[in-house]
Amino acid sequence: MKIIEKDEKVKIHLKINGKDYETEVEPRKLLVHVLRDLGFTSVHVGCDTSNCGACTVIINGKSVKSCTVLAVQADGSEILTVEGLSKDGKLHPIQEAFWDKHALQCGYCTPGMIMQSYWLLSENPSPSEDEIREGLAGNLCRCTGYQNIIEAVKEASQKLKGH
Amino acid sequence: MYPPKIGYVIPDNINEAIDFLKTHDDAKVLAGGHSLIPMLKLRIIRPSYLIDITKLKELHYLNKEEKEYKLGATITHYEISKAQIPLLSEVASKIGDPQVRNMGTIGGSISHLDPSADYPAALLVLDAKVKIKGPSGERLEEFSSFDKDMFTPDLSQGEIVTEISIPTVSGYKYSYQKLERKAGDFAIVGVAVLIKTNGDEIEDFRIGVTGVNNKAYRSQIAEDMIKGKKINDEIIDKVAQEVANESNPTSDIRGSAEYKRKATKIMAKRAILDALKR
Repeated sequence: MKIIEKDEKVKIHLKINGKDYETEVEPRKLLVHVLRDLGFTSVHVGCDTSNCGACTVIINGKSVKSCTVLAVQADGSEILTVEGLSKDGKLHPIQEAFWDKHALQCGYCTPGMIMQSYWLLSENPSPSEDEIREGLAGNLCRCTGYQNIIEAVKEASQKLKGH
Repeated sequence: MYPPKIGYVIPDNINEAIDFLKTHDDAKVLAGGHSLIPMLKLRIIRPSYLIDITKLKELHYLNKEEKEYKLGATITHYEISKAQIPLLSEVASKIGDPQVRNMGTIGGSISHLDPSADYPAALLVLDAKVKIKGPSGERLEEFSSFDKDMFTPDLSQGEIVTEISIPTVSGYKYSYQKLERKAGDFAIVGVAVLIKTNGDEIEDFRIGVTGVNNKAYRSQIAEDMIKGKKINDEIIDKVAQEVANESNPTSDIRGSAEYKRKATKIMAKRAILDALKR
């Protein structure tokens, strides 16, 4: 049994976008803040009640709101953020489709929205419009009205199937 | 947004978790964390330690046995939604949003007991049982008695929910109808029904309601009203009215008490009609 006292810091290991990171955290520290401290500032904070999804990342293959996970809880896990999607400067098909379909304006929800789309399409490669809307229900957007995001996910779904 | 300072415990097995919980009465068990961490972030609770049980493989299983499904406490809503358990999987798929379902667990949901949670309506009609492990061993309780009041599970100091068992129901039609303001929200009202028909006669009928009382309830009167009868619009209307009569909603941001009572009737009707269609 491992016990970490409240004033103590604990060393944690995270594999983020394929690279190993080690950092020391208080048990109360939220994963979203640790990711941002480590330089992954695409991971955004849009609320304090777990509704908005701007902090969505993929942890061990599952999309998760990183504001509702303690960093210590995520010790030893593999994390994918939007910084890890493009390969050698080439955009991932979901990123391309967001560009093509004008699926972002201020860009604040975009990293979380793209990571949730990434998980949605890995779960369901050919989602219907309803399934896309439901699949992104945990991600709020103030700018786009969602319509172009839906179009982008549809296009990304087509592109990914071609791969 | 910022949790208060807390200690953190990673036990190697369930007995260590129980021992620690027994001697630290203000420690809290951490499962998916999707009720506990939001409460920490608002500083509604200030536990001394969190005991992280998610690393315990012994609590993570989903088995279909001859007469029942056995679900380890840390099985997630996502995993349940994919498990094709009659009624329960449909309910799990309507909890929160996808990210929440990837983390939230059934053990955590029922140990938290939000009065608007989705599972309780289904667990009542499925006659679910809860296995609880504590310093003096294991006990098995009906979910109906485990759910003592809102946010008040039947758990004494040192006790942890380890398993939820669901008797298999065969030949039943079912539906869960959830009224919500928007996708991802808690239920304004949620109605779960299980119906067994014999021709056009109702052989067994169970109806559970969440969101409109301190705790989820089953309507015995409504159930008796329809059992053995031939189904028709009139009896469905009477049953739905009875279910609504037994509600005791509060007025809040999700609507007035009056609205919620009327909505209970409508959702009860929809659940019955939807189940009969399947």
